[in-house]
Amino acid sequence: MDLDLLLGVGRFLLATTLLLLLTVPTAFVVIQMELKVIAQMQLRYGPNRIGPWGMFQSTIHGFKFLAKEDHMPDQADRTTFTLAPWMVYMAAAMSMLVIPWAPGAIAADFNIGIVYFFAIIGLSVVGMLIAGWASYNKYSLLGGLRSAAQMVSYEIPLTLSVVGVVVLGGTLNFREVIEWQLDHGWMLLWQPVGWGIFYIASLAEINRTPFDMVEADSELVAGPFTEYSGMRFGFFFFAEYVALFIMSGIMVALFFGGWLAPWPFPAQLEGFGGTLYGIFWFFLKSYLFVFVAVWLRATLPRVRVDQLMGMAWKVLLPLAMLNLIVTAGVVVWLKL
Amino acid sequence: MTSEVRIPDPLHPERTEEARLRAAAGLAPAPSTGGEYAGFESVGLPDRPPQTEREREVYTLDEGEMLVNIGPQHPSTHGVMRLVAKVRGEVVVDIDPVLGYLHRGIEKLCENATYTTVMTYVDPMDYLSSMHNEHAPAIAFEKLYGVKAPRRAEYIRALVVELNRVFSHGLMMGFQALDMGGLTPILYAFINRDEVVDLLASISGQRMLFNFFRVGGVNFDANDEFFSRLGTWRAGVLKTIEMNERILTDNEIFRGRTIGMGVLSGSEAMALGVTGPSLRASGVPFDVRKAHPYSIYSELEFEVITHTGGDVYARYLQRVAEIKQSIHLIDQIVDKMPHGPVQAQVPGIIRPKPGRAYAAVESPRGLYSVYAISDGGPNPYRFRMRDPSFVSLQAMPKLMPGRLIADTMAVMASFDPVMGGVDK
Repeated sequence: MDLDLLLGVGRFLLATTLLLLLTVPTAFVVIQMELKVIAQMQLRYGPNRIGPWGMFQSTIHGFKFLAKEDHMPDQADRTTFTLAPWMVYMAAAMSMLVIPWAPGAIAADFNIGIVYFFAIIGLSVVGMLIAGWASYNKYSLLGGLRSAAQMVSYEIPLTLSVVGVVVLGGTLNFREVIEWQLDHGWMLLWQPVGWGIFYIASLAEINRTPFDMVEADSELVAGPFTEYSGMRFGFFFFAEYVALFIMSGIMVALFFGGWLAPWPFPAQLEGFGGTLYGIFWFFLKSYLFVFVAVWLRATLPRVRVDQLMGMAWKVLLPLAMLNLIVTAGVVVWLKL
Repeated sequence: MTSEVRIPDPLHPERTEEARLRAAAGLAPAPSTGGEYAGFESVGLPDRPPQTEREREVYTLDEGEMLVNIGPQHPSTHGVMRLVAKVRGEVVVDIDPVLGYLHRGIEKLCENATYTTVMTYVDPMDYLSSMHNEHAPAIAFEKLYGVKAPRRAEYIRALVVELNRVFSHGLMMGFQALDMGGLTPILYAFINRDEVVDLLASISGQRMLFNFFRVGGVNFDANDEFFSRLGTWRAGVLKTIEMNERILTDNEIFRGRTIGMGVLSGSEAMALGVTGPSLRASGVPFDVRKAHPYSIYSELEFEVITHTGGDVYARYLQRVAEIKQSIHLIDQIVDKMPHGPVQAQVPGIIRPKPGRAYAAVESPRGLYSVYAISDGGPNPYRFRMRDPSFVSLQAMPKLMPGRLIADTMAVMASFDPVMGGVDK
């Protein structure tokens, strides 16, 4: 046997296992953050019984899902009903493969990372759609169709806004995008419009308020997840919060310098210390945007489904096109 | 945000996308199938033939339509109500409110109770305006028995009903936002409600079902402690209401979803019998406190507030304005509060002479009235209540066709129905 191949397979298995394991604490932390932060904003205490300051409330939530009855409607399509939570969860977990945590700490540092990421994160819509169809419930069906319409529409401005970054950085590799920002400053300064489009579209892509049309608890009960219970629902729930963290992380990598420390600190350190230093800054920036998403949830009502689609096709898409053309023009003109 | 979005218009089939495409391709318009009676099975109930013309109309499905049960267990039906919505995709074609899931036979219970114990039965009817629920029967029974409440009792009555109105309208702001996906306003509204309810508990002894009014007066006098707490409350009452206003009133998403949504014209509202803030938001200046003054309202200074929009946003603004008006009224009542007894001399069991009496009050949801007939016995021969939210809900089938499912919740919340009152 080829030793290199064996090493490669071993390294792959190790990385994927680690990342799969990592999704669980990530979801716990983000859920706990949402519970506590939104409670403070709504002038209430939030969870405060489990552990110090209620720290383990979300962990207990997770174990609760495992203990609950796994119920399936009589007329549900058994195969797809079982498959749907797995697909949504895998879409979130697989996209963690390319997240640039720190220098030297990327599970798969390959040269089409950005393409891979947007391809994989878009898979979750398939899971939502089949969850809505398989549940044999009218609310689920409406929610599933909403998710298909919404996520497919917002994927286009989302991806187009990133093309500006790719043109400017000249690479599809997350590590190289961050290294480009080491020399030129945060991408936010070069692509402010692109960032705005990316942020709005990413909120819609991961179904966060004010674009949480898919769940829409006051209209569609729980959208495609209405008939799910127990750990099957838990997978949807986890995937949602993991996706929130991942989207924040990807935005930090593309527009806010990833693991780079902002001025006046040394931007990057060498060696193992540098890895830890990078992880610290990456998590700090990512959780800042998780916080902003929670803040938005506490503040804004939900938009209507036709307003949502109108915004994607009439505002964001032309704006993203324009941004791309101007960026490309400037890059060609200045020979950057 | 956009106003004009091409969604298939179910009311004018010739305007649908399919019809447009067929016309562009030079094809004849698709033949109408005429619809098929779907029956109760399609909403999960035992099937039976239609009983009325309206039932046949609602349950007859055209191509591409389906029936969705919104309720009785649903996050935004304000209790247990069932709306049968006929939808084409997300567009509501027709809507049929099905009532009665919370029916407790309160009118019949009241007819079996003595005049004094009726007050305990009307409390849980419209549970967000229990004080108003007691006010109307109290006035009606006083008319029947020919007794007048002392002046201080009348002032205390006006004070507690206005306090009740403040928290009821405050909650409406919260529920309006909650039904549109805004999570925070309802919690601020409940802070406000908790303060008012504590205040009312300190005068009546109970937090929710106050049982405070008596025939010929009120149960307890307002003591110094109550007035001291009222002063503290008055100093900070606008805080949570203004926090909600800041979140909602100028919010672009909120305005985009409510302005022009569910427009009820003044004449339509009057024809349907809609009263209260929902009627005044359509520009009709009808307020029972002004039109047929009861209690001490003729001695207080206030104007009837109206808005002209008649849409969800106008109904929301109407409530906000009325909260401030109620606080203004509370100030006046406290200023003018006379001294004296709070209960007239009335025997324990009242036996009015045979006769009839009618009394109407302005509850937070509209005209709430009571009609009582006495046959000389210790309990009413007939006791009838008109609940305003029951009437307001009848506007839903008029307003919803052609709108989206999401708008159903927004429009329903704007009428602020309370199912306890609707189903009695």
